[in-house]
Amino acid sequence: MPWTTPPGAGATVFIWSGYSLAERDRRWQAVRENGGKAGFDCILVPLGNGVDGRYMTQLRCSAMVLPTDGRGPITIADRRSNNAWVPEPWQTGREWAEPMGEALLDLGMERARIGVVGLKGGTVTHCSSIDGVVNHTALAQVMSKLPNAKFADATDIVGRVRYVKGEEEIDFVRRSTAVARAGLDELINLARPGVDAGVLYADVTARLLELRSEYYPLALTLDPLGTPKPKRFANPPIGRRLETNSLINSEVNAILGAQLTQVCQPILLGQIPDEWKPVIDLQQELYEAGLTLLKPGITFGALEEFVNTFGAKRKMKTVIQMHGCGYGDDGPLLPAKTNEDRLTDLRIEKGNAFIWKPMVTTDDERIQFTWGGPVIVTDQGCEALFTRPHGMVSIC
Amino acid sequence: MESPADIIWKGYSLAERDWRWQRVRENAAEAGFDCVFVPLCVDGRNLHLSLEQSRGTRSDCRFLTQLENAAVILPTDGRTPIVISAPESGNDWVPDFRPVEDSWGESMAQGLIDAGMERARVGVSGMRRGLYTHGRAFHGVVNHGSYAEVLRRLPHAIFDNATEVIGYARYVKSAEQIECLRRGAAIAAAGIDKMIELARPGMDEGVLYSRVMQRMVSLGSEYYPMAFYSGLHGGGRLPRFEDPTEGRFLQPMYRIANEVDAVFGGLIAQEQQPIILGPIPDSWKPAIEAQRDLYYAALEQLRPGRSFGEFMDFVNGFGERRGLKSLLLMHGRGYGDDGPLFTPQNRGARNRDVRIENGNVFIVKPIVSSADGSFDTSWGGCVLVTETGGEPLVRRRPGMVSIT
Repeated sequence: MPWTTPPGAGATVFIWSGYSLAERDRRWQAVRENGGKAGFDCILVPLGNGVDGRYMTQLRCSAMVLPTDGRGPITIADRRSNNAWVPEPWQTGREWAEPMGEALLDLGMERARIGVVGLKGGTVTHCSSIDGVVNHTALAQVMSKLPNAKFADATDIVGRVRYVKGEEEIDFVRRSTAVARAGLDELINLARPGVDAGVLYADVTARLLELRSEYYPLALTLDPLGTPKPKRFANPPIGRRLETNSLINSEVNAILGAQLTQVCQPILLGQIPDEWKPVIDLQQELYEAGLTLLKPGITFGALEEFVNTFGAKRKMKTVIQMHGCGYGDDGPLLPAKTNEDRLTDLRIEKGNAFIWKPMVTTDDERIQFTWGGPVIVTDQGCEALFTRPHGMVSIC
Repeated sequence: MESPADIIWKGYSLAERDWRWQRVRENAAEAGFDCVFVPLCVDGRNLHLSLEQSRGTRSDCRFLTQLENAAVILPTDGRTPIVISAPESGNDWVPDFRPVEDSWGESMAQGLIDAGMERARVGVSGMRRGLYTHGRAFHGVVNHGSYAEVLRRLPHAIFDNATEVIGYARYVKSAEQIECLRRGAAIAAAGIDKMIELARPGMDEGVLYSRVMQRMVSLGSEYYPMAFYSGLHGGGRLPRFEDPTEGRFLQPMYRIANEVDAVFGGLIAQEQQPIILGPIPDSWKPAIEAQRDLYYAALEQLRPGRSFGEFMDFVNGFGERRGLKSLLLMHGRGYGDDGPLFTPQNRGARNRDVRIENGNVFIVKPIVSSADGSFDTSWGGCVLVTETGGEPLVRRRPGMVSIT
């Protein structure tokens, strides 16, 4: 029995929902196939897993039950929201467990094997959420309504679909990168000794927003060159001005078409010391060597081995640093914090999009340099989207 | 206002930390808990029922530790809490935290065992919605995978909902918190001033949105999305946006509604200002004037000891005396998803017995509608409850701004 909008429900919140119906069908069909192969009767994207919900529905907040036998899904949405992908979702206000349970029952899942997306951190999605993202009370209530069903983790069922981008998504990865790059340009234009770091933060953020990025925190360190553990800011710094010799390491993020991208470009408010130059040069070699390896069929085990041994001949340390572009918390996340084994045999595929930003440090780790941005894996190899000249930006 | 570099604020004091911890301990002991447990909660990007709720998911750990993500085990017998967090965490309040090992579930379970809670009565904050906090999150905010592991590893402990234990501690603000909210309210007001300065027919709404956010962040606010509504009157509900829009331009006689929030010291302040790009129609003026009178009258009524039942009845009955309708719209201010919650969706009947207290801070923004419901208006801002009634944290005049 469909749920309808409760009285007094809040205003509908409109979010970007510009992907085509063909893209929707591609995603849904791929999830159905993965789910069927894994022996699931349906895939449940429950309350708490908002990122996969958005991937499957283009709604800000939704839950979904997608049978693997080819039937259409039941989507649950809030605040009267709907869109071309899900024109007639079930509507709820703040109660989610009941409609999720009823959706499963309506679809005949009383004794089914139900794949729950987001129960654990996945191989290529929810990578930093090692315990998953699912709301406990709601899922427990759903499980109590279906005591004879079996619930198992299905994070990778959707994750593996998100891992390979469609053409429309790739287009937005490009556009998103261009916006992140514009944000970085603003940072370079404005960063000078004496500048209020909080105002700088606001100006770069505003530049990204003006270009229609969804908000994602800009991350900065600002301490003088040589500071052992510089403080990281993901909000406007309070009580700070840039100084001569401030080293600005940044992660400038943008989101267009729900595709999160990032560019990393160190900026020094001073002359680059000579001792930094070999580190920067080696990072460039490593970055470029990595581009030649990032092609379909290569395993992450092989890539990591290559990167992590690259610096030995120069008596420096080289560390793999990368993660996926996409709807958020995309992987693989390297270096891996947990479950490293399952990444060893994971292969790079055409249509992957990553942030590629390996790090080089001196042996004593006193000097560290990271530079990089988004890359897209193609048939031929990989295409770097961050095309600034490599190196440290020096502002004197 | 000061620029961020000139703000002298070093964070909350250790005395503030101890005050918070002690309030929670006392509430927990009164409720018969051996400890209060703030488990890993779902991140706000994934559990996003609303802006407030999203920010509120991990609000209890921020309240107790000032960390963005942490689990806390606070024994009621006076011992210091065990705090579990990501390896790169730590601050002055919790210099000795435990980094998460293989999973949050295992680390939290071990923390409870180490605190001697194998057979204890454990109060879990965030299991379900509360009166004072997590009011929008009917199913709470707790992460399933890790919590299920805790239950599995402590089969003899009793776990009960303790959302109100921390919620009630958060309900009354300290002097340090009030100062942060006061600054936040002033920043939000500055954001509104920027909107009034820029909003003109032809203005790109996305650029307007960006400039308002720029203004608030450049005064030291954390980024908290503004809720922005625009459109002609009479076409149904105005659409709501929480990101800069694309391809939308302001037009003559557009109504603009908003919720302009600023975050300082982790606490969310909000100010609200309706705007019209043209003259205010005469037929709207009675409701706008009544809304202003209602706001001021409500401040008089916001006194310690009064129940929300009395307060709600006063506000909801105010419009009728003028042949209009009125409805209470308000909720608490704080770390996110603060209550009690009174909205058109959640009328607040469950909050009737909650008492207003000295040191509460609310966003007060009652709605007044014309008798036929064809026009409604809401104006409001942050209000501190004092012995003599409600005190706005920033002085602004209620009403609709007309830009001609």
